[in-house]
Amino acid sequence: MHRNTVIKAIAAALFAAVPAPALAQDAPVRIGYAIARTGPWAAGAQVSQEPNYIMWAEQVNAAGGLSVKGKKRKVELVGFDDRSEAETVVRTYEKLMGSDKVDLILPPWGTGANFAVMPVVQKFGYPMIGPTATGRKLLSMKNPYFFAILQQPDLMMNALAEFLKARNTKTAAVIHVDELFGLEQFTALEAAFKEKGIQIVEKKSYPLGVKDLKPVLNDIKAKNPDAFVALSYPPDTFLLTAQAREIAFNPKAFYASVGTAFPVYRDKFGPVVEGVMGLGTLNPKSSPAAKAYFDAHKARHNKEPDRWASAHAWAALQVMEQAVAKAGLDRKALRDAIAGSEFDTVIGKVRFKNGENVATPGVVSQWQSGEFEVVWPPDRATAPAFFPKPNWK
Amino acid sequence: MSHDLRRIFGLLLAAGAVLAALPWLASDFMLSLALTCLLYVGLAVSWSMFSGATNYLSLATSAFFGIGAYVTAWGFETLPYAVVVPLGGLVAAAFAALVGAAALHLRGAYFAVLTFGLGELVRHAITYGEKTYARTVGRVIADAPEATTVYFTVLLVALLAVAVCAAVRASRFGLALAGIGSDEERAQTLGVNTRRTKILGFTLAAFFAGALGAAMAVRWTYIEPASVFNPFIGFQTVLIAMIGGAQTLIGPIASAVVFSVMTELLRLEFPYAYLITLGVLLILLVLYLPGGMASLFGRDMASRFGRGIAAYFRRAWRPNA
Amino acid sequence: MGLWFELAASGLITGGIYALVALGLNLQYGLMRIMNISHGEFLMLGAYLTWLAHTVFGINPVAFLPVVAIVLFALGLVIYRLCFLRIARTSSSVDAIEARSLLIGFGLMYLVQNAAYLAWGADMRGYSFLSESVEIAGARFAGNNLLAFGFAVAASLAMLALLRWTMFGKAVRAMMQSPTGAQLVGIDTRVLHPMVFGAGLALAGVAGALLSMIYEITPGMGEPYTVTALIVITLGGLGSAAGCLAGGLLLGLVEAFGMHFTSPSLKMLLSYGVFIGVLLARPKGLFAR
Repeated sequence: MHRNTVIKAIAAALFAAVPAPALAQDAPVRIGYAIARTGPWAAGAQVSQEPNYIMWAEQVNAAGGLSVKGKKRKVELVGFDDRSEAETVVRTYEKLMGSDKVDLILPPWGTGANFAVMPVVQKFGYPMIGPTATGRKLLSMKNPYFFAILQQPDLMMNALAEFLKARNTKTAAVIHVDELFGLEQFTALEAAFKEKGIQIVEKKSYPLGVKDLKPVLNDIKAKNPDAFVALSYPPDTFLLTAQAREIAFNPKAFYASVGTAFPVYRDKFGPVVEGVMGLGTLNPKSSPAAKAYFDAHKARHNKEPDRWASAHAWAALQVMEQAVAKAGLDRKALRDAIAGSEFDTVIGKVRFKNGENVATPGVVSQWQSGEFEVVWPPDRATAPAFFPKPNWK
Repeated sequence: MSHDLRRIFGLLLAAGAVLAALPWLASDFMLSLALTCLLYVGLAVSWSMFSGATNYLSLATSAFFGIGAYVTAWGFETLPYAVVVPLGGLVAAAFAALVGAAALHLRGAYFAVLTFGLGELVRHAITYGEKTYARTVGRVIADAPEATTVYFTVLLVALLAVAVCAAVRASRFGLALAGIGSDEERAQTLGVNTRRTKILGFTLAAFFAGALGAAMAVRWTYIEPASVFNPFIGFQTVLIAMIGGAQTLIGPIASAVVFSVMTELLRLEFPYAYLITLGVLLILLVLYLPGGMASLFGRDMASRFGRGIAAYFRRAWRPNA
Repeated sequence: MGLWFELAASGLITGGIYALVALGLNLQYGLMRIMNISHGEFLMLGAYLTWLAHTVFGINPVAFLPVVAIVLFALGLVIYRLCFLRIARTSSSVDAIEARSLLIGFGLMYLVQNAAYLAWGADMRGYSFLSESVEIAGARFAGNNLLAFGFAVAASLAMLALLRWTMFGKAVRAMMQSPTGAQLVGIDTRVLHPMVFGAGLALAGVAGALLSMIYEITPGMGEPYTVTALIVITLGGLGSAAGCLAGGLLLGLVEAFGMHFTSPSLKMLLSYGVFIGVLLARPKGLFAR
């Protein structure tokens, strides 16, 4: 009887011990990030970036979890508000990587925040794929752990120049916002236009936050250029649209870089946006995957994603998902996997060279009947372009 | 040196020694938090040294901070960190002296709004200058110094700010400032050169704001006018100093620490509601604690200090009484 | 000639908008020395309310203006009672009132702005109303801009008339001149102060409502307008209604002409330069009281 009890006890203990390792495997993959929920960066971050993070985590968990080298684990997002302050960004990532020791990180919004977090990322060795960071300056830091998935200025401006050249555009007036983005885009544009033989008849720049650009637009209207290009941020894009219409400035091409891809641009101006061009990578017509992405975003967040950075944010998450499935959570191996492989994403193939995505070309999109159609390059186009742009309604 | 002043210096040295050990005891994050506390201690104390004493509410802290940051942005390639930090302070001080000479005849709200406008003017001037002559908008700081180096630098500047503030408060110069604050015309008739005193005080406060800006700039890798000339830095400094009790020494110090820690805790714990909570707390504090947090440290201590100062004032300005 | 007219008109319209934004703040400061630094947040509330009314319920934004005014007036009464009344009663000096109300303003700014973030999210919102152009003397102006300008001028003139010719206005001016004296002759601050504060907020809200037809709307849109308002009222002379209008128009003209003859990048430099220049020359603003 004594021996039986002992045997039963040992059997019970063994039985209890067996499921324990299996339970330990269910520790979630913790993914940390800081992003602007308040402050000047918040508008962009909440349109293009954080909604994608949330939706992705939910989709992954609904499918059983993130595949880590074949084994599925649930994902847990650890996100904080960075208040649009560089110092808060730095401090939060120090906490996430240094103290909390999360498994993976996601980037903050915008070039400024990404700059700030670069040294921290390098110090702790966490790979990061940024969908809202652009600029030669950023990439020239040659941080091996940073990958820019958004098209860089030269790609975007070359695409615009090609598009305009193919329509025999001879002259253009260009204005840009006095920010790093505007400046870099302008430098790239000057080079691209020079190469394609498009003459810039007027170039002006303006500070962010300007509330009236009519004097500038009137001057440009008087010069009668074929094309008008604004390398602008959303508030200025909106202002320029309203004021160009106000003074009935109708160039053959009207292009404003950032903000045109936002759903609110179409919602605010309605049919007025017909024919306006801007930066945009895809729309629901680009592919079935794109349509699925749009529909899911709309269903989950009650709003459409934007047609540029949102898609890149989603693609960045897909890249990470695929890389983790292959290389696991070892950060060095993960970084190498991201740097060395080609990925299939909603924006098409993505491949990095020296930290820059070289597989996605520069794209020109145009609003047509309520959709931001891709009109250039021809192999990505979802509709032919309206050229010249119809007069403002 | 008076007994009180020696005591304060002793405390500072002890605090400095304790805080200097932090890099080996705390995580990167805690160190960053301590850094933020020290930054605002330095800013709030130097602000209250001038504005608390003279009641000339200055919103120029952001301007001085930004100037210091840009001195680092411009100078960091060629000069060592140990040089750009005091240089940032000096450039900010020079700017303050210029501004002070021109604008310190303004009073009250006019002075406040003018100093605010100055911050914006400097920001736009630098944006324009950089864009036109350097064809750039922001500056990248590569090879930033170690986080520990930054910490020690900020610690040093903050301690220096507190020490200088304490020394000023115990000196004739500090009495002159306080005299200007209580009744400027009277101080003038009693022989205080109010113009020179104000300019000096303003400049001294600017030095520390500039040095702190120069020190902190390296943490952000990319310096652009909008983020370093952020008016919020100025607002927060004023807020902290006034809540702590801008006429005292310990008030701004304690307030800076509590404010920084509390904001961080709230931000991490209550992702969306923390700023609302902060706003409500601020309102309640102002409504029900008019003397600022310093009044929590015992009306006795504050009033004894105040009475002692007043007595010294009387003796200093009426030597024959 | 056409160019000058166009520039001047553009500048005056922008300037009118600046003056409109500053009106409410001027009233509050002039009477009660309350530097309401959260002024822009109530402008933002007016904008959001109008946007909601128009996009969700299809209400005409212009018809909704009185509603915005009433709602924000009521809100102003409540906020005055909760936050500012105590300050007026327990402060030792006028400077103390100014300092403490500045701090309360900060608290309100945090509170209102972040309540908006929580309620509506950080996304940009927008709608267009009266955006079709109107042609005047060969130049074209958007209808909503003209409306905002017209309202700014009308409101400023109405304010001036109110202050000069009505009993209420006389009471307000009496209070501005001498609080004790005014109370001695029977003017009740307990009634006047909340009403003026409420009126200030109402004006902010209406400004926001008009602006929401033109510009995009975000929870953070208020702060730059607070800054503009501060500059305008300081430039014009704190407490002076005429100064507020003049200051705003001047700023608008400086910007329009400056942008044309130099470059838009210099616009901000010019604005602040003029502001600081005027203050140094005339320390109490253009229309010093």
